[in-house]
Amino acid sequence: MEQNSNLKVDFAGLTLASPVITASGTCGYADELAEFMDVSRLGAITTKSISLEPRKGNPTPRIVETNSGMLNAIGLANMGLQRFQDEIIPVLQSLDTKIFVNLAGKTIDEYVKVAQTLAHSDAIDGFELNISCPNVKKGGITFGTDPKLIKEITSAVKDVCLSKPLMVKLTPTVTDISMTAAAAVEAGADALSLVNTFTAMVIDVQKRKPVLANRTGGLSGPAIKPIAVYLVNKVYNEVARDAGIPILGMGGIRTVSDALEFIIAGATAVGIGTATFVYPDTTKNIIDGLATYCKNEGISNITELIGCLE
Amino acid sequence: MENEKAVNKGIFEAEVLSNQQIRQCYYRLNLQFDAKGSRLFENVAPGQFSELDLSNVSLPETSMIPIHLRDTSAKQILLRRPFSFSDIVVSPLTEGCCVKAEILYCVLGPATVRMMSLKCDDRISVLGPLGKGFMVPDGLKQAILVAGGMGSPPVLHLANHLKQHHPDCEVIAFVGAKSIESFPFTVRIGNAKNLVLEEFERIGIPSHIATDDGSAGYHGFVTDNVRHWLENNPVDPASSAVFACGPEPMLAGTARVAKDFNLPCQVSMERMMACGIGLCQSCAVEVKKNSDTEYQLCCKNGPVFNAEDVVFEEE
Ligand SMILES: Cc1cc2nc3c(=O)[nH]c(=O)nc-3n(C[C@H](O)[C@H](O)[C@H](O)COP(=O)(O)OP(=O)(O)OC[C@H]3O[C@@H](n4cnc5c(N)ncnc54)[C@H](O)[C@@H]3O)c2cc1C
Ligand SMILES: Cc1cc2nc3c(=O)[nH]c(=O)nc-3n(C[C@H](O)[C@H](O)[C@H](O)COP(=O)(O)O)c2cc1C
Ligand code: FES
Repeated sequence: MEQNSNLKVDFAGLTLASPVITASGTCGYADELAEFMDVSRLGAITTKSISLEPRKGNPTPRIVETNSGMLNAIGLANMGLQRFQDEIIPVLQSLDTKIFVNLAGKTIDEYVKVAQTLAHSDAIDGFELNISCPNVKKGGITFGTDPKLIKEITSAVKDVCLSKPLMVKLTPTVTDISMTAAAAVEAGADALSLVNTFTAMVIDVQKRKPVLANRTGGLSGPAIKPIAVYLVNKVYNEVARDAGIPILGMGGIRTVSDALEFIIAGATAVGIGTATFVYPDTTKNIIDGLATYCKNEGISNITELIGCLE
Repeated sequence: MENEKAVNKGIFEAEVLSNQQIRQCYYRLNLQFDAKGSRLFENVAPGQFSELDLSNVSLPETSMIPIHLRDTSAKQILLRRPFSFSDIVVSPLTEGCCVKAEILYCVLGPATVRMMSLKCDDRISVLGPLGKGFMVPDGLKQAILVAGGMGSPPVLHLANHLKQHHPDCEVIAFVGAKSIESFPFTVRIGNAKNLVLEEFERIGIPSHIATDDGSAGYHGFVTDNVRHWLENNPVDPASSAVFACGPEPMLAGTARVAKDFNLPCQVSMERMMACGIGLCQSCAVEVKKNSDTEYQLCCKNGPVFNAEDVVFEEE
């Protein structure tokens, strides 16, 4: 189908059709999205987090809307490795785009087992290590806040990825994100993705109870965008640029200029999540808009913009 | 079985034909779909729904906003809102934009407050048709419709559908509300001096109303009214079915009644939804599976489920 040569980017050794990637947990298993757009124009699709065993996820309500954003506490609901292999991989195989599998687990061993099994699948192009989920009691964010644990888990998973790139997804809920980013890079991460959601709470003032059944949830959407842009720029300047590690930047992207902000701040690719819920063809519109921007600005390839912030 | 055709969904525009207050917080919104929407909705099943983008609709004048919602309705909205239909009319004569849709809505928060200010010729973005609707089993001879309060719209859509496409099927409707003021329909005195709902009477469907406070019709829950009726009017389980929409405790009650009379029962569930199309997993409904349970998606696997499969969340 229609491709834009000015949008082709190299990301951790993979050639992406465009720098626009669907964010984990916001595109189902990709088949739903195919009804709204030509997925071959995406740089990649990131799957929902997959864990070794199936997870039912949290009770409802699992979401609540806030001004310019939403909180979610899905709780990493997923079908588990076995069913993912049996039912989803064949679907992914039929899609003409790159696939990142987002990995989740309660123990390092669990992450390793999932990565080890999936590393052998031709349908999968790379991994995103989710050490930043705020909505599960064990694992998730507890790994993502401790540089020592980050190193341990990153190198353990990296060992079993074979030649597939490993991206580490960082939580913004830390004092200094450059410390966690540096830990991941030192341990062998091929790329960094940031940010995951911010831990947050909404209270029902009538009931004087949190709205979400899980009490807290992760804040996403336009409300977090300026913070996410800042964090991407910080990690780019302090860690990624010198290490030569690409960043998948995300958090609240809804428009073409939102995506450009992240690229200018230092991201090689951008992730789109919450905006897809409102307009499932958001990624397509952003891809079109980026191509037009490059053309109008006389830019031969979008990579020229990465980190060009003055 | 019919209705399980894989209907494609899409984003399209609808033009507002009218937006009228029915009573208190209840409104009726009539829409004309564009050519794309008309194509998508031609074979829609009752119970399927849509997601409306109301984020660009402005707030009505403060004096129009119910006092108890003035504070909270100032909140901006980001996500679409799910709505089912009380009727979908496909006009066979006009080509192109041939589908008109009717939504009954209750004003209870920032998005529905904004909906009040929609006026003729305004355009809104619609995503649909979504989910799985009611399935009318082959050979259905008797349909028992049960609705509660704001859950009623899709039951009216089903009633219209049955009248048109299943003329041999006898249909009876039971509708419950807190009080006579809280029906999203017009209450009238019927032939037998009983109270009936005009929207059902118009299409020749007898309706039985129940109010929690006894201000009209049967004094008590609609589910008890259904049980009484079934005790006095035996129906054949092989050719009858119950179809229900409404608050979850009412659905759970309806499921129990249906089970006691061995009747198959379909219920339309509601959940908070961020996307409506299976992307986010926010709309989990707990469903029995073998000896355990699993979560299914209200927006994709539902909103209509077989009642015996659902683990209801009763408060
Ligand atoms: C499949 C489906 C079909 C629907 N059909 C209709 C319809 O035909 N007519 C109609 O008036 N409404 C319908 N609704 C409910 C409607 O979507 C909500 O009333 C609307 O989203 C409220 O938005 P708001 O911003 O005005 O209020 P909010 O502030 O979002 O909500 C106000 C109150 O309603 C509750 N609420 C909101 N959405 C839901 C939900 N999905 N399930 C349970 N409780 C909820 C909230 O907890 C809150 O207490 C339907 C919902 C679903 C899931
Ligand atoms: C409903 C929902 C589910 C999510 N699930 C996951 C997940 O399973 N794994 C993960 O790493 N991130 C998950 N995320 C985080 C997103 O991938 C993304 O990092 C975040 O939402 C910020 O981007 P956005 O503002 O564009 O949504 C989820 C986000 C949302 C809104
Ligand atoms: S509302 Fe998003 S999956 Fe159902």
